[in-house]
Amino acid sequence: MNTFQKSIVVCLLTFGYFAAAHAILPIERLDSFKGSKGYLVQTKALPMVDIEVSIDAGARFDPSGKGGLADMAAGLMNYGVRGDQGILSEAQIADEIADLGANIGLSVGGERAILRIRSLSRKDLQDRAVKLAAAMLSSPTYETKIVEREKQRTITNLLEAETKPEFALERRFAKSVYGDYPLGNNPTVKSIAAVSAKDLIQFHQQFYRSDRMIVSIVGDVDRAQANEIVQTLLQKIPQSGNPIAKLPELQRSPVEPLAQREIQIPFDSQQAHIAMGMTAVTRSNPDYFPLLVGNYILGGGGFVSRLMSEVREKRGLAYSVSSYFAPGKDTGIFKAGLQTKNDQAVLALEVMSSTIAKFIADGPSPAELLAAKSNLVNGYPLRIDNNRKLLDNVSSIAWNDLPLDTMEVWTQQVEAVTLEQVRAAFQKYLAMDRMKIVVLGAKNK
Amino acid sequence: MHSNLLRICFLFLLCAPFSWAASSNSADTHEFLLSNGLKLIVREDHRAPTVAHMVWYRAGSMDEVNGRTGVAHVLEHMMFKGTHQVKSGEFSRLVAAVGGRENAFTSRDYTAYFQQVEKSKLDEVIRLEADRMSNLNFDDAEFLKEIQVVMEERRLRTEDNPSSLLNESLMATAYMSSPYRHPVVGWMNDLQNMKASDARDWYRNWYAPNNATVVISGDVDPKQILKVVEKYYGAIHRQVLPERKPQTEPIQKGIKQVQIKAPADSAQLAMAWKVPPLQPGKLDDPEPYALELLTAVLDGYDNARLNRVLVKQEKVVNDVGVAYDMISRGPELFLISVSMAKGKTVAQAQASIRKALDGLKQKGILESELKRIKVRILSDQIYKRDSIFGQAMEIGTTEMAGFSWKDIDTMLEKMQTITPEQVQAVAQKYLVDTGLTIAVLDPQSRKSIASKEGK
Repeated sequence: MNTFQKSIVVCLLTFGYFAAAHAILPIERLDSFKGSKGYLVQTKALPMVDIEVSIDAGARFDPSGKGGLADMAAGLMNYGVRGDQGILSEAQIADEIADLGANIGLSVGGERAILRIRSLSRKDLQDRAVKLAAAMLSSPTYETKIVEREKQRTITNLLEAETKPEFALERRFAKSVYGDYPLGNNPTVKSIAAVSAKDLIQFHQQFYRSDRMIVSIVGDVDRAQANEIVQTLLQKIPQSGNPIAKLPELQRSPVEPLAQREIQIPFDSQQAHIAMGMTAVTRSNPDYFPLLVGNYILGGGGFVSRLMSEVREKRGLAYSVSSYFAPGKDTGIFKAGLQTKNDQAVLALEVMSSTIAKFIADGPSPAELLAAKSNLVNGYPLRIDNNRKLLDNVSSIAWNDLPLDTMEVWTQQVEAVTLEQVRAAFQKYLAMDRMKIVVLGAKNK
Repeated sequence: MHSNLLRICFLFLLCAPFSWAASSNSADTHEFLLSNGLKLIVREDHRAPTVAHMVWYRAGSMDEVNGRTGVAHVLEHMMFKGTHQVKSGEFSRLVAAVGGRENAFTSRDYTAYFQQVEKSKLDEVIRLEADRMSNLNFDDAEFLKEIQVVMEERRLRTEDNPSSLLNESLMATAYMSSPYRHPVVGWMNDLQNMKASDARDWYRNWYAPNNATVVISGDVDPKQILKVVEKYYGAIHRQVLPERKPQTEPIQKGIKQVQIKAPADSAQLAMAWKVPPLQPGKLDDPEPYALELLTAVLDGYDNARLNRVLVKQEKVVNDVGVAYDMISRGPELFLISVSMAKGKTVAQAQASIRKALDGLKQKGILESELKRIKVRILSDQIYKRDSIFGQAMEIGTTEMAGFSWKDIDTMLEKMQTITPEQVQAVAQKYLVDTGLTIAVLDPQSRKSIASKEGK
């Protein structure tokens, strides 16, 4: 224990040092273009650029009965577009991306769809990559033949995923926590089968508008070039469109008797998979930092968290156990989970529950708080030490409407967290009698 | 119209960024050998004030002996359980206190440990890592708990994962004598019978400075860091390492097949051919490079041959993957794995794969296909520099396979000289049935416990 305390003192003394020695790269706000927002961090060391377009068109906008639509609308953008010189087939798009040595990736989360480009910053290559991405964003063809093929592939993948314990658990947990909120409606074979090319075209028209887009750029480009990239990307996209119906509010997980909160799913895997959690906070919540620091102590801090210590180190019950807050722009949840062989499921759930309950009731110790701050503050440079990580940060700041100096003041905000704030925040947002519990595995008495 | 533009681009790409990448490797990288046999490689990268520190031991699951499979990986877990100076679990707490990220991983060829820290904390993690190179000290009770954790890891990653089960059986079938036939995590029965003394023996045998390479990448001054490494690692004594038997795999003399029944929805098929890896000292051998390029021609981008034909045109498989690793200590496989499309059979998928390969063997590949792949390799050389951890990983894996980090540039240059004919030639020579192993996952529906109990 002695060495441990000594090293913490050393860490605290050096807190101020690197913030001063290494200025954090500034985020520049780009010119507003067609109602979109654009942000840039210039890094000149490598001849490359990373570009992200966030579109407010996530899975939460799936219409009822058509779960999977948002995902396919984005996922099929590289399977045929109407470009300047006519139609580009999926093969031509793939060849062009490869020829440029570029990467263009598409993904869809609950809140937003994301298109990412990584390209060499040499102007001719970069221009072509951006032009191609612009065509994907504005003019996907959603050709019926390809839509049908991809629907079938998605259904096949879904049927496969349903045989996997981690996937089955995740779906059931999402249903429990999100309830009637759209993210509780997981895609099913039926809902994917119901999606038509017309639905995709309509969804795209409705949601892929420049006033729902944010462009974040990190790399070897200057401000003028960055503005040009934004303009090229959004040139052909309509600025606005029909009003979009407001989503329902995500209702806080209610107080319920255990029998109504806990679900057992029989599953003949060797391990039981267990999840526990409830609705929580958004990223812009003023209690974000007390919860971040607190969760590091509870279940976020790699090998040194309380959950890791109680479940794995002391009892050897699981290989992995953790907890996290997933704060989004409009909704957020807390979740903890582990996997253990079936005959230990009851014990492991008990240990996990009592560890979380105790933490909510008592909060961390002063030594734990100090250790958490020490890790988060000293480790902050590791969160921003390359282009990809910088892009993740800029993108989160832009999407969540956070102040542009968020990276600069991050460590100060961690340092300012007090014991009382952590305890109060956990008690305010989490409660054991609201926690949804899903246990998937062989039943044991 | 389009193609002229393309050609100009290729010329640019092939010349400009490549010479840039090649020249910077050797200028930024420094190698030192300590008198106790420990090798230190430092890659300077001053873009951000962070460092990756890794120690690589040339001892992986391929060095294990019968009845003790998984011991390399078990020892990796025990390395966090204390030394004479540092109590169990304390290592991780100390690394966490300086803001570090840490972990470790075991492969067939090596075991590696790493920390990523802000640069002023580098000395502290070097001190801790050097301490556990020679002072590991855990008690039997810690071992008994941790072996349970390792068995949970095996349940999670293998027992409940049909693709892993398929791969495990594929390896055990493809190899008769090579230790590559055993899974890195170990067979469950070996884990159940493992003793604390097995892990301690492993540590005593293999954890020595003359069996280790330290790789440090990031914002460091190589001369200064050499002093720190000398101070902490330099004090550890060299030791005699156990003899490594070659255990060379006999030449396969005909097709092998294996089938696995496991809970899944779609069938899976894996076809693996015995192929040569690159040999240290024989960097001029074109075959491994040609095989690496063949991998990418088949599966390197969305419109690559197998994805185009099998997934998009014939719709016989839902997903396809091709793998070959040119750099390894042991023998190599050229692996094609697919999961079936709905309503398609394993036989249909196999026929389609064979047809695609036969076409390639007979007609060869296009110059344009190969160029596309080469451009991708060149641009990746630049992208990889965005991650200092990735750079340390590349150096470490190359060194562990018996090559020098200096060979990396040579390999890339050689790769650019390979012709379509050479790619066709390796396909003709190696993708033949005498060296083929086929593994099939026969999907079984999950039995819910309720129905088992008849309720």
